[in-house]
Amino acid sequence: MFYPDSGRVLTDGKQIDRKKIRIGYMPEERGLYPKKIITEQLVYLSMLRGMSKPDAKKACEKWLERMGMSEYKNKKLETLSKGNQQKIQLAATLMCDPQIVILDEPFSGLDPVNAMLLKDVIKEMISGGTTVLFSSHQMNYIEEFCDNICVLNSGKIALDGRIKDIKRSYPRDRIEIVSENADKISSFIISKMGDMILSADIDEKEETVLNIKLRDAEFKSRLLAGLSECGFDIDSFKVCEPTLNDIFVEYTEAGI
Amino acid sequence: MKHILQVLKFEYLSCVKSKSFIISTIIFMLLIMFTAFIPAIISSVVSEGEKGSGEGHKRIIAVMNNAYEENDTVTAVFGKYYPNYDIKTDSKDIEDIKNKVDSSEYEFGVVLDTPVSYTYITKNNSMMSRNSEILNTVITDVFRTVSFEKAGISAEETGKILNARISSSTITTGVDQTKNYWSAYILIMMLYMAIVMYGQMVSQSVVSEKNSRAMEMLITCAKPSHLMFGKIIGSGLAGLTQLCVILLTALGSVSTIGANSIPKEILEFINFPIPIVLYAVLFFILGYFIYSFLLGALSSLASRSEDLNTLTSPLMILYVAAFMIVIMSMGADSLNGTLMIVCSYIPFTAPIAMFARVALVNVSAIEIILSILVQLISIYLFGMLASAIYRIGVLMYGNPPKPAEIVKLLREQYKANKAIKEKK
Repeated sequence: MFYPDSGRVLTDGKQIDRKKIRIGYMPEERGLYPKKIITEQLVYLSMLRGMSKPDAKKACEKWLERMGMSEYKNKKLETLSKGNQQKIQLAATLMCDPQIVILDEPFSGLDPVNAMLLKDVIKEMISGGTTVLFSSHQMNYIEEFCDNICVLNSGKIALDGRIKDIKRSYPRDRIEIVSENADKISSFIISKMGDMILSADIDEKEETVLNIKLRDAEFKSRLLAGLSECGFDIDSFKVCEPTLNDIFVEYTEAGI
Repeated sequence: MKHILQVLKFEYLSCVKSKSFIISTIIFMLLIMFTAFIPAIISSVVSEGEKGSGEGHKRIIAVMNNAYEENDTVTAVFGKYYPNYDIKTDSKDIEDIKNKVDSSEYEFGVVLDTPVSYTYITKNNSMMSRNSEILNTVITDVFRTVSFEKAGISAEETGKILNARISSSTITTGVDQTKNYWSAYILIMMLYMAIVMYGQMVSQSVVSEKNSRAMEMLITCAKPSHLMFGKIIGSGLAGLTQLCVILLTALGSVSTIGANSIPKEILEFINFPIPIVLYAVLFFILGYFIYSFLLGALSSLASRSEDLNTLTSPLMILYVAAFMIVIMSMGADSLNGTLMIVCSYIPFTAPIAMFARVALVNVSAIEIILSILVQLISIYLFGMLASAIYRIGVLMYGNPPKPAEIVKLLREQYKANKAIKEKK
């Protein structure tokens, strides 16, 4: 539809062949014919994507059942609730058995039960080897599904790469300690190891959690050694990775 | 190509299956059958009425004769014009006749004051009654017959002289307008309505797809131009189906029920010569494509159906103007005038103008072919233009763009297209 400003679309290192690779797309604005029978339009869309009529019908049955929508198959779309319409939309996207699926904000407007269903379907696809391009601003879903992320800010790529790598690239200077004696540890660290840390505060919500910011990430092991020498009872000691939320905010804040 | 066919089939079926389409087709069919039935219904009602009066007692017409000495001629002539009535000439009192007319005992009464003046007494003087016309003839006839008799000419000879009929026949070397005028008129009206009706159907369907965002799904499945061609051809075929059903119903009902009941004069009026009907279909197809491509493209720029009017009104005004020119030229009998000849080659006016000329006046084959060629070429050009605009329009939301913006966008698209082709 739109011409690229630059770049190419590659699959497995080769120019994409739209005849071989089927793409399922679910637009953010849900769009189907409100006044048409559900089965009719689903079969039509699948046939436009290159399926034969019997295959399209079979796939339609299968997906409507998967979505728990079989009873509505001969109803008009407009008679369904919004959440159900969304499920039909998802069925329309996935019916052609695509190798690549593009989902634009698939979770908006879904109740928790349907969100679970959608999650299961997406996970199923991922484990089945389907490439899922997932666009959302709900970071928790992204963290759950995605390996690679790309943060866009005002139409430009602000950040892209594997989530793990991105998180690792952050200085690992924040330590979270969980212990019943968090307050004692806190005062111990401040008095004995003050040169290694910037701050050591008890978490506002949980009094057993101690947040420590190191002066440098390499002091981590010395801190751990010092604590174990003194025999504190520690439930957990871990490096705090920034959440995707933090990362997103960091990269797009300037633009907003 | 496969996509066009799939879209075409889908659009055709959803058109034909839609309630409004089915209902309007049925209404048209009923209307036509009803129209064909009317003469039969009327004549059966009338003949029943006549039978009733014929068997029992005939209705009475009272004639009070103050003009002639004898009543015989008066009775005879009245009887000739009103064969199903009793002519009563013995009344002597106007009031008596008035009363009996009022009580419906007499159908009506006539008082002959002098041989050339009379008073007509009737209960209800309806607009449609032709009685006073007939009476004028009757009384003139009476006057003439009596006068001839006085001059010594027998009633028989008088009849021959008075009833001398002139028969004539016309040989038309070109197109006989008198025979085709009404059928052409009806077909031109149908052509005009059909093109605009089905064109607007395309408009509506484009906008509703955009409005419901079904377009976003479709656009990822098929090329916009395929979507547009499929939609326009599909709707056109649906329109053609409806027209065929209507024409066949008309043909069927006129030839079966209508053949016996519709008076010959009317049948001659509405005889649709087959070549003319075929021309109507041809020009419908041409006109439909010319207008629906442009309408489709324009409506793709609208996001809501409220925007449609603003976008399509210039085109619609053009269309109505074309129709007016044709109808006025028909009225002024100037179908072969310069204006109409020019209009036959302008794509917007050609379908209707050329059809009117083909149906009603002599047009050389070359002119017809040339006009059709012009229309075919413009369909091709409009099709290309429309698919380019459609591509821009379908994903454009918000206020419809101004013409200058459209031109700019088209240029950008053209450049981008070229760049991609060069890359390949």
